[in-house]
Amino acid sequence: MQNSAQPVKASRIALWKWAAIIILLYVFIAGWIVPLKPGIIEVSPNKALAGDKLVLAIKGYNTFFMKDPNEIRAWLRLTGDTVIKALHVEVVDDRHMRAAFYIPSVFPVKQDAYPLSLVIDHPADGSSVLPNAVFITPAGDPDSAEMSLWFRDKIDHIHRASGVRYPFRNILAETIRNTYFHVPMWFSMIILFGISAWYSLKYYRNGFIRYDTISTAFIKAGLVFGLLGLVTGMLWAKNTWNAYWSWDVKQNMSAIALLIYAALMVLRTSVEDDMQRARLSAGYNMIAFVLLIPLLFIIPRMTDSLHPGNGGNPAMGGEDLDNTMRMVFYPAVIGWILLGIWISQLVYRVDLLKRNQ
Amino acid sequence: MKMNKSCHIYGLFQKTMKLRSLFILVLVFLVQLAQAQQEYSPDYMRSIGKIYVVAGVTLIILVTLLIYMIMIDRKISRLEKRQKNE
Repeated sequence: MQNSAQPVKASRIALWKWAAIIILLYVFIAGWIVPLKPGIIEVSPNKALAGDKLVLAIKGYNTFFMKDPNEIRAWLRLTGDTVIKALHVEVVDDRHMRAAFYIPSVFPVKQDAYPLSLVIDHPADGSSVLPNAVFITPAGDPDSAEMSLWFRDKIDHIHRASGVRYPFRNILAETIRNTYFHVPMWFSMIILFGISAWYSLKYYRNGFIRYDTISTAFIKAGLVFGLLGLVTGMLWAKNTWNAYWSWDVKQNMSAIALLIYAALMVLRTSVEDDMQRARLSAGYNMIAFVLLIPLLFIIPRMTDSLHPGNGGNPAMGGEDLDNTMRMVFYPAVIGWILLGIWISQLVYRVDLLKRNQ
Repeated sequence: MKMNKSCHIYGLFQKTMKLRSLFILVLVFLVQLAQAQQEYSPDYMRSIGKIYVVAGVTLIILVTLLIYMIMIDRKISRLEKRQKNE
């Protein structure tokens, strides 16, 4: 400190850090406040006999059945255009209604049991679907004359819900909001590990010990984000997939990736010499980052997984992430990454001070 | 001198009082937590469209980052102390 006598001007917080704060505030507010689209939570009974009348009690979520109760239509769908329309619909309150169906005793396809999906259309709420709502067991004496009932009605003139709302998915419900909190943790972890590998490469080329300190700081922060991704994912999985750990490919591979980096941090403590430790961890770190690509991006796509976008399908599409969610999800990714870089920078500055003392 | 001593004792007393009130607070909190644990069921986490799962995830992230921040803060304090001693 050559000029400690001079008053030190308070340093300002950099613009990108303000950006991180504002973006994350937006993400927390929008992620929590925007409501879900209407949907169907459950129906009862969920089993019925063919060739009989069936009255379904339907429980809605965020629905307003009392608005235009006469305009509500309901169908049970076997496949595509093979549907039966409700004979009549009776609204109990905003969240509850009953629909009466006649289930034909014959089916166009032969199966042991027939899962039917429930489709509801409402002028204000739009249309909602509950897949596999009712399971039908075939009747003892099928009447082939009833076959035409399956092809009499069609799902047509479907309404769409208006306004800024997140999609309603049956198993997820409100937890679809975790897309802004759980998913960006992994994005941040990958970016932080990537920056760390970049500084390891720089260390290999220049040999400045400073680059080793930077690279280690990014690994430390990346590990925190990876751990957060794992723990938040486990809580989410418990309430959607019914187990904290389902030995899903992506769960396993991300755990392995975290263990590889944790092993690097343990390895670092076991080497006494600074230069040797820096050289060793730079090499290890680059290999670890190269390993991250098959572990997180290739292997989970080659087999079936509970995670969306695996087993061949590209992620980030369809109804799991619609345009309304993109308006929050992309800022969320940027905000959490900026926060990760910020934390890494703090860790680096502390480590640098410690090294210089 | 005497005054000083009593002050010192009073300070000690205050400290223990603070500790005791903190201890009682923690105890009350623990009892509440235990009661909540008894009432806990997956139904609670899954009520109101599973919104408590989102609350849990958000809390986990915020609390972890807070703890990490406190750890960095303590590290800085230790460095400052060492610098002062030098």
